[in-house]
Amino acid sequence: MKQLISLEVNGDRHEIAVEPDATLLEVLRDHLGLLGTKQGCDSGGCGCCTVHIGDRAVYSCMKYALSAQHQKITTIEGLGADGKLDAVQDAFVREGAVQCGYCTCGMIMTAKQLLHDDPHPDEDAIRHGIAGNLCRCTGYHKIVEAIRTAARD
Amino acid sequence: MTNMNVVGKRVLRQDAFEKVVGGKGFPVNVRLPGMLHGKLLRSPYPHARIVRMDTARAEQMPGVKAVITPADVPQIPYNPIFFMPVTSAGLVRDMLILSDTVRFAGQPVAAIAAISAAIAEQALQMIEVDYEELPAVFDPDEATRDGAPEIHAGVKNNISDTPSFAIGDIEAGFREADHIFEGTYETPRVHTCYMEPRVCVADTDTNGHITIYSSIQHLFGLRERMAYALGLSVSQVKVVQPPYIGGGFGSKLDMVYAEPLAALLSARTRRPVRIKHTRYEDFITNARHPMKVYLKTGIRKDGTFCARYARTQCDTSAYASQGPVVIMVHAHYGLMLGYRSPHLKWEGKVVLTNNIPGGAFRGYGAPQACFAVESQIDEICEELGFDPIEFRLKNTPRRGDPHPFNPEWKLDTYALDECLARGAERIGWSQRARAGSSSSTKKRGIGMAAHPLWVSGCVGFPDIYEHSGAIIKLNVDGTANLSSATMDIGSGQNTVLCQIAAEELGLADGAVLMSPGSTDTLPFDAPTHASRGTYSSGNAVKVAAAAAKKRLLEVAAVIMEANADDLEVCNGVITVKGSPARSMSVADVVKRAESPYMVIGEQGPAPTVLEEKGTIMGLSSLAPSTNPSPAVAEFVEVEVDTETGQVKVLRAVYAHDLGRVINPAAAEGQVEGGLQQGIGFALMENMLFDPESGACLTSDFLDYKMPTAVEMPRHIESIFIESNEPSGPFGAKSLAEACLIVPAPAIANAIYNATGARIRSLPITPEKILKALGKL
Ligand code: FES
Ligand code: FES
Repeated sequence: MKQLISLEVNGDRHEIAVEPDATLLEVLRDHLGLLGTKQGCDSGGCGCCTVHIGDRAVYSCMKYALSAQHQKITTIEGLGADGKLDAVQDAFVREGAVQCGYCTCGMIMTAKQLLHDDPHPDEDAIRHGIAGNLCRCTGYHKIVEAIRTAARD
Repeated sequence: MTNMNVVGKRVLRQDAFEKVVGGKGFPVNVRLPGMLHGKLLRSPYPHARIVRMDTARAEQMPGVKAVITPADVPQIPYNPIFFMPVTSAGLVRDMLILSDTVRFAGQPVAAIAAISAAIAEQALQMIEVDYEELPAVFDPDEATRDGAPEIHAGVKNNISDTPSFAIGDIEAGFREADHIFEGTYETPRVHTCYMEPRVCVADTDTNGHITIYSSIQHLFGLRERMAYALGLSVSQVKVVQPPYIGGGFGSKLDMVYAEPLAALLSARTRRPVRIKHTRYEDFITNARHPMKVYLKTGIRKDGTFCARYARTQCDTSAYASQGPVVIMVHAHYGLMLGYRSPHLKWEGKVVLTNNIPGGAFRGYGAPQACFAVESQIDEICEELGFDPIEFRLKNTPRRGDPHPFNPEWKLDTYALDECLARGAERIGWSQRARAGSSSSTKKRGIGMAAHPLWVSGCVGFPDIYEHSGAIIKLNVDGTANLSSATMDIGSGQNTVLCQIAAEELGLADGAVLMSPGSTDTLPFDAPTHASRGTYSSGNAVKVAAAAAKKRLLEVAAVIMEANADDLEVCNGVITVKGSPARSMSVADVVKRAESPYMVIGEQGPAPTVLEEKGTIMGLSSLAPSTNPSPAVAEFVEVEVDTETGQVKVLRAVYAHDLGRVINPAAAEGQVEGGLQQGIGFALMENMLFDPESGACLTSDFLDYKMPTAVEMPRHIESIFIESNEPSGPFGAKSLAEACLIVPAPAIANAIYNATGARIRSLPITPEKILKALGKL
């Protein structure tokens, strides 16, 4: 049986009827049309679906939407202000860290949390910080560079 | 080549701006009004015949709109691969959209469309299927034995194909040899792991015309296969070009069951139908062909080859599909042509098994070959005391030689020597220690591998498409729109093509934008594969841009009262050569060309000139006349922990003669990503299956391990050698695949250099290393 839940995503409150086992990922994409959050595996293995709940980066495919009520959810669509890119988004563009781009939004959300926790991470900290996000295109090299650049600027 | 404004620059990728805010253009985001969701019922058995299927309960489930079984599907045997005409003599057509015989665990047997994916999924359980289980075989050696289960009627011993070729007299060659080396080298089944799932949305109108959106590497290939398998004509299928897809690496060069099934479900329901693979479905859709290569080499005292013999067994799995094609590329461009030998012979065997289908994967048969060849060369050099670099140079083709694949082509821009020299210098080759000489438990080693010969597209291969086309249209603001059916699968190819167009047209960086179209509106383009994008599609774009420029200057000549031959265009400004004061912007010329004949100005209506009227545009459709070879060498340093068997790749230096770098950032990205896939192939990736049921045991990223940022080397260096290929756009040849062909043997050779352990089967797991060191 569906339940009515209330989610706060990117500052907007939404009332939605969902199955109790609906994942946050499903609700973001299929109910709210927030298509920036991607599904790569649906089993906690790729990180494409990473969003923030509060200031924690989580795999939204591993989270029931029900359990995310009463918390602030931020997706890639919630980054940046006044039509401008956020510093991490901007660094990904400038450093050539985007290839096919399918991992990109999840990677940026993870990088945001990483820089929130440690504004000046060294290379090892960056690499371990993004180890839960897979990328098959870039070899991560320019992603690490982009995060370093974002930390510097 | 000097004076280039856009080519050779680190131009930012246009699509990156959209991708960092959400990437709305991915096929996975396509949603149409009234769209239904499809799901496929898949067989739990690897080999079975369906004796009864009852769909009544599923059909009655609320929300279910259509159920399709083998009885509802055209029984037209097809081959799924995109890059050859589906009716080619060289292709085996042994697949059906739905069949009552199942040949691998997970093959679809029915399809359902419902108002939600969850309902469709539930309804699958309601379909009753009685299977008659048939004996299955997974090991290619067993499959070829007498008495093995027959997978396709009439294919004796499951041998689908036995190609071979020979030059000279192989026996005489071995008699000449002072030394003979032999070995068997094995490579596993690995998956491309594109991040965006296979997904499609098909929409069929009441005339039976299908529009399809799909995550694919070739628009026209999908159109052709859909039409063929559904018994339609090609104009009844329209494939819409997505602006980008989430990776492909070769996997998306086949039609998958979901595509024609979505179309059939849509025809039934008169509504758009979306089918998206789960990651499990992606894993069992196709994978790199496992190969076993026996390689025997005869060498003279002076270190030159006198005889090379190889035998390859290729597991093409449940359907012939790519097998007979991939093994030929493997033999020519992987095993044999990269090194000279007066006598050579190769024999191949393509074997059917009940494994999941083989598919294309970046490098197409060459990584399996390169592992054998480059490992064995290292063995030879170690044993006979040759320097691996000099030894390779002694036996590889030289600049100016006729191309070994087709002597009418010349290797005029061939710079393997420079790749080897510069790579060796950067890695510190001269300081390399003797193999196994380190006494510490963590041992470092340096290794290298080359791939002397590769392709820039498919010119010269029988029955493989190779032409490209482009349309360029100038706008009144001085920009241009470029349309091409080529697919940017992540490499940045569209940005590179826009750079080529801007350079040729004399526009500024960023003034050319890519505009997607469909198979209805775009000229044909061969797929994104075979490292062909920059070279082949790039050539077509350059020719279209030249045509647009010619028209631009003709119109400018009328307006500027000059001779078109006296005009030049640079950075969006047209000037009379030698008198820079006489100039006009491209935007103003296009504005005049697009303006009405009578223009009302301050003086009242005045006619403009008739000759200047019309949209300024250019188009092209052509195939390249040749197939220049890039040359590559990779050098790596590894650290092997001899207590745990763990291998860390510390540094990689990759040198590649690509003719011309159009966009250095995009080129480096190819090398770095290729290395990630290469390290996975060398050290960790391997699809595993239950030996009884054939079920895939590595069907998510928790079980199928690929390198994360932690396993990648901190230091990756790309060296690009610009040999300036005259047949390529601004001198470019190719790049994309070779950077995944060479890492595995370079790493294996470095492990040998570190430990003295030679491992001839991939992946080189800690277990294999410890065994080789006598510790297990
Ligand atoms: S989709 Fe959530 S981790 Fe892969
Ligand atoms: S850019 Fe393609 S998966 Fe990361």
